[in-house]
Amino acid sequence: MADIVLDRVSKIYPNGVPAVREVSLDIKDGEFMIFLGPSGCGKSTTLRMIAGLESISAGQLSIGGERMNDVDPADRNIAIVFQNYALYPHMSVAGNLGFGLQLRHVPKAEIDRRIKDIATMLGITELLSRKPAQLSGGQRQRVALGRALVRDPKAFLLDEPLSNLDAKLRASMRTELIKLHQKLGTTIVHVTHDQVEAMTMGQRICIMKDGEIVQVGAPMEVYRNPANTFVAGFLASPPMNLVSGRLEHDQAGLAAVAGTARFVLPPALRDGYAAQSGNAVTLGLRPEDFHLSRGNVKLSQAVPVATVATEVLGPEVILVCELGGNGGPEVMVRCPRDFSASPGQPLTLHYDLSQIHLFDKTTGKVLSRPSLI
Amino acid sequence: MKRLARSIAPHLVLVVFSAIIVLPLLWVVRVSLTDKLTAYKIPPEIGSIGSMNYSAIFTSYPFTTWFFNSLIVALITTMIALPLATALAYVFARWNTGGVALRLGVLASQMLPPIILVLPLFAMFLMAGLMQSRISLIIAHLTICLPFLSWMLVSFFEGDVARLEEAARVDGATRWQAFIKIAVPVAAPGLLAAGLLGFILSWNEFLFALVLSGPDTQTLPVGLAGLETHAGVEIAPLAAATVVSLLPVFLLLPFLRKHLIKGLSLGALK
Ligand SMILES: Nc1ncnc2c1ncn2[C@@H]1O[C@H](COP(=O)(O)OP(=O)(O)O)[C@@H](O)[C@H]1O
Ligand SMILES: [Mg+2]
Repeated sequence: MADIVLDRVSKIYPNGVPAVREVSLDIKDGEFMIFLGPSGCGKSTTLRMIAGLESISAGQLSIGGERMNDVDPADRNIAIVFQNYALYPHMSVAGNLGFGLQLRHVPKAEIDRRIKDIATMLGITELLSRKPAQLSGGQRQRVALGRALVRDPKAFLLDEPLSNLDAKLRASMRTELIKLHQKLGTTIVHVTHDQVEAMTMGQRICIMKDGEIVQVGAPMEVYRNPANTFVAGFLASPPMNLVSGRLEHDQAGLAAVAGTARFVLPPALRDGYAAQSGNAVTLGLRPEDFHLSRGNVKLSQAVPVATVATEVLGPEVILVCELGGNGGPEVMVRCPRDFSASPGQPLTLHYDLSQIHLFDKTTGKVLSRPSLI
Repeated sequence: MKRLARSIAPHLVLVVFSAIIVLPLLWVVRVSLTDKLTAYKIPPEIGSIGSMNYSAIFTSYPFTTWFFNSLIVALITTMIALPLATALAYVFARWNTGGVALRLGVLASQMLPPIILVLPLFAMFLMAGLMQSRISLIIAHLTICLPFLSWMLVSFFEGDVARLEEAARVDGATRWQAFIKIAVPVAAPGLLAAGLLGFILSWNEFLFALVLSGPDTQTLPVGLAGLETHAGVEIAPLAAATVVSLLPVFLLLPFLRKHLIKGLSLGALK
């Protein structure tokens, strides 16, 4: 068992930068965990503390139940893949793969066998005698991965390993990493600032901001129930539309109002939010929860919008429009690929009220909502 | 027309600079093959050409001793300076030991005119009974080489190399193993360049050698200076001796070309 447990772990760099603040997280043995967050939020620092490359300022790190705070990185039996791969430039690919095994005094024949196995698995057998400088980006990435795999470590830490690859290669490496994880079942902590990687690869996502964990959960769980406006605005592309508004009582009941657009809350929601009536809120409206027709959406609200522009992506069209009509706040709407509208054209859209998100205007935290039955 | 001018212009500049560097050397080589009288003739004359000056420096002057002294002092100085400077540069780069103050302090000693250092050194070696010994010269040359070499090497241990060492440490290396097996080989071009620089600094050093050496421990620069006697400058043997003393540097040239240039452009190391 190699659970990685962080208990109120903090990092303050010598220059006084508090890079990570009281992070608590339990990474299960065999789990594929994603650290997601904007650049500078402390993902790498957290990863480096797990690897032992950075000292821990406060809190406790344990791996497999053992306290690891002061254990040398060499003795943690963890592998890390760096963003720029950090291959040893003076060694051949085989040398790079075998280095860790040599240090552990694995017999030569065994080293050769394992290098061969890994090279076959990653399809880099012909590259074994080359130097890193003679490899393409994608090949270096494979070698870096191979160097991690060959040692059979307790966990893999991947620090934005795909960010230097071109889009096509990145997509195929994504799939390959997922397959690899299924095959090996070893714990993987994958750092990324790319929300597509986060949504598609991990079993759980840990979203970080300013050195703190904002939300942890399965991708769909985080997508469905973002804990605050930061998560809502970070995940998915295009992300959730965030519009400022108010909760108001009117003759129809309780409504979330943004400009001239009104979303009358269904009875089940109304009671839950009644206490917040009169408060300023941020409405969270996912682009995919707008519909062109009422269709079979059970609880829907018709909203007039004014077209600003359309972005044709191929499989779908993104409609940029002003909510409530001309001069309203701008929102993005996902439409089917055959949709078209000209700038200025008024439309009526239907919003799925079961998918309305309300956040506190000042704190950005989600307003706890009753579950819809 | 414009294209032609553009390709010729740089060459013209290079020719001028090459001439500035090469012509004096050629002159020295020519003088070394003639006698004093022909050497100063204007307009220049080819005159009689022979290798008499080369045999003269070995028979009439203790040239072999000077050469040998220079070689020993320069080699040992480099062999001591290089590992020490490497260690110094490494701790500066990795742990910023002593901060900016220590880094500047190390170099500050080199900002003083050497003449200021030479007398205290003289006094110290006199007390230690080391005057006129090669050891005193080696120690004196170390005071020059260490600061320069360590400063030169700091940049070779900064940046990417640190990432590589981290990778090695996660791979199971101790700090020492990461240093010896990763940092040093990766910085090798820099180490070689620094070693050559150390050798050349010591090989060419004059002032300390002049004050600290004795008749048996004189180095080439001191010995050659001695050829400028009251009776005038023995220009022809001086030229021959200069040519011979340039030989080691020429022998190092292929190395220099290959590694020094690579070392000085380490930024390209990816
Ligand atoms: N060695 C360091 N010394 C001082 N501050 C650092 C150091 N490394 C990172 N930081 C700071 O810590 C914060 C978190 O950095 P990092 O963990 O690299 O973020 P991320 O990987 O999420 O982009 C940033 O503000 C960064 O400037
Ligand atoms: Mg990072």
